[in-house]
Amino acid sequence: MKKVIRTLLATSILAISVQAAAETKVGFIYVGPKSDYGYNYAQEQGRLYLEEHMDDVETVYFENIPENADVQRVMERMVRSGVEVVFPTSYGYLDHALKVAEKYPDVHFAHSGGLKTSDNLMTYFAEIDQAMYLAGVAAGLTTGTNQLGFIAAHPIPQVLRNINAFTRGAQSVNPEVTTSVIWTSSWSDPTREAEAAEALISGGADVLTGHVDSPINYVQVAERRGVYSVGYHADASQFAPKGWLVGAIWNWGPMMVNIVNSAKDGSWKSEHLRGDLLTEAAKLSDFGSAVSEEDQQTVLDRREAIMNEELQVWAGPVFGQDGKVIVKEGDTMTLEETEKMDFLVQGVQGRLK
Amino acid sequence: MEYFTTELLTLLFAALRSATPVLAVVLGEAMTQRSGVINLGVEGQMLLGAMTGFAVASVTGDPWLGVMAACFAGIALSMVHAILVLGCGANQIASGVAVLVLGSGLSAYYGTPFVGDKIDTLGNLNHTFVSDIPLLGQFLGPITPTVLLTLLAIPVISIFLFRTRTGLRWRSTGESQDITRNLGHNPMHYQLAAIAFGGLMSGFAGAALAVDYTANWVEGMTAGRGLVAVGLVIVARWNPWYALPAALLFGASEALNLKLQSWGVNISPYLLATLPYMIPLSVLMLSYRGLKASGGGMPAGLRVVFQNAR
Repeated sequence: MKKVIRTLLATSILAISVQAAAETKVGFIYVGPKSDYGYNYAQEQGRLYLEEHMDDVETVYFENIPENADVQRVMERMVRSGVEVVFPTSYGYLDHALKVAEKYPDVHFAHSGGLKTSDNLMTYFAEIDQAMYLAGVAAGLTTGTNQLGFIAAHPIPQVLRNINAFTRGAQSVNPEVTTSVIWTSSWSDPTREAEAAEALISGGADVLTGHVDSPINYVQVAERRGVYSVGYHADASQFAPKGWLVGAIWNWGPMMVNIVNSAKDGSWKSEHLRGDLLTEAAKLSDFGSAVSEEDQQTVLDRREAIMNEELQVWAGPVFGQDGKVIVKEGDTMTLEETEKMDFLVQGVQGRLK
Repeated sequence: MEYFTTELLTLLFAALRSATPVLAVVLGEAMTQRSGVINLGVEGQMLLGAMTGFAVASVTGDPWLGVMAACFAGIALSMVHAILVLGCGANQIASGVAVLVLGSGLSAYYGTPFVGDKIDTLGNLNHTFVSDIPLLGQFLGPITPTVLLTLLAIPVISIFLFRTRTGLRWRSTGESQDITRNLGHNPMHYQLAAIAFGGLMSGFAGAALAVDYTANWVEGMTAGRGLVAVGLVIVARWNPWYALPAALLFGASEALNLKLQSWGVNISPYLLATLPYMIPLSVLMLSYRGLKASGGGMPAGLRVVFQNAR
């Protein structure tokens, strides 16, 4: 059965339920279009992985659901239609999901990236800042101007982690490096992202990266202007055959299978499940030809060091923009601390608020 | 000094790039409103143009075919407005909103398979005689064809509107349909042409965004620029010549927002993000002082629209 529900809203909301010999119904809610070639695209790939790798699962999804009371109605509707595991995939869905979870104690909720749990609500995420740190290493080794550019959407902890990790990675191999940040105030505004890329390049940056829904826009501008780029969310190397360095990308599928399995066999835990480079929920994409063999090896050695915990991205000393010590030498930031990050590190140019 | 000049010119051309899609819509919408029809659907027409242009460029591999397809898509969707408003006598505001929603829905639905496609762009003036011009060459080089075409449209439109007989009837239709009718012409023909022209320009603006400027299709990528353009028509006082400074005002504030951040200026990014809306709004308010009586150049026929809407 295939039903398409089109609303009168400017955004189209799509619900497709696929019939199978289904026992467990799993629902996904995306804040943007599943085809954004970015965050939602990565979550959608996880859903498709789930369909492919689990026989007794039926999935439903809704796109373009805003982070307000609307999402509660969507979750209620899912639950009433028999969905047993709900994946509210956007950061701003957390409080709404908690409310619905309280109302339906038999349904399992797995929220992406949040830092609150309840009896039947867990959170999942991946420490993609580890991959961003490594991408920073590649950028620090490649840059000729020692100026990196970062196109960022909104100053939330996940974005700040990536800006800071990227900068710290670059500084670890090249202490001269600075990162200029431009905020676009939108998860997706291709025109503004392209123009921000132009502004960063004309300001002297020769490696661009970002944290917006799709890397395609700034990667293409960088390629046209003959500078390097580092991708995020999804592999955009085909858009920059010359300038692509590497990218930090998601791989949700295996993690989602584990979550659904734990809901089915009763081993469900109300926890903060976090993937990393080791579990491959966050990955480094393939290198572009712009990164030399030697530099690739340096990055891969660091990756090895992160995976066997010799290297910690958030080990002190960490300095704030003004040079003040935020994490002392010998200390390491905890999961809670990194997920509540509210500062930019030394060497980042840009204002938070 | 040289640094200063370079930065200033960079900013100016960044402003021109950001302004181009908006300018195209302002020109089209100004012409539509000159015939006494207001069309809020331009945002939806832009989106459908962007999606169609990108899709055709992706499938055929020819970006110019994409631009042409975008223009046709804009015209086709504007005909929905024409049918509702001219054919059924529907409320223009409501019909415009319907077209807007239709355009964004259709483009989202049919655009999905093309997300992440790679297309050839229209190219730019680099490696032509332009790049040899001293100093200016490096700034003119990155200028793309849609920028030039949009700039070229300004004199063409204004000569048509102010120097031709048809242009005169077009304007008179906007002031009073009775005048046109008394002269033995059907005002509806002019209004139909005006709506189609607005559709063409907004479809073209969509192509400027998706095929030329970003070479990318993303759902809802116009991000309100079409509606901003409808507002800027008032700032431009329905005059094609004033459309350029009005659109540049938006483009420059947009470019300045990003440029100031890249310079590391110590101003809140939230405040900077309001620039593209605050500056045109302020200019509108300031320029309207003393112009109240004349309505700022609004075609008299448009008043009827707002009275009916009440």
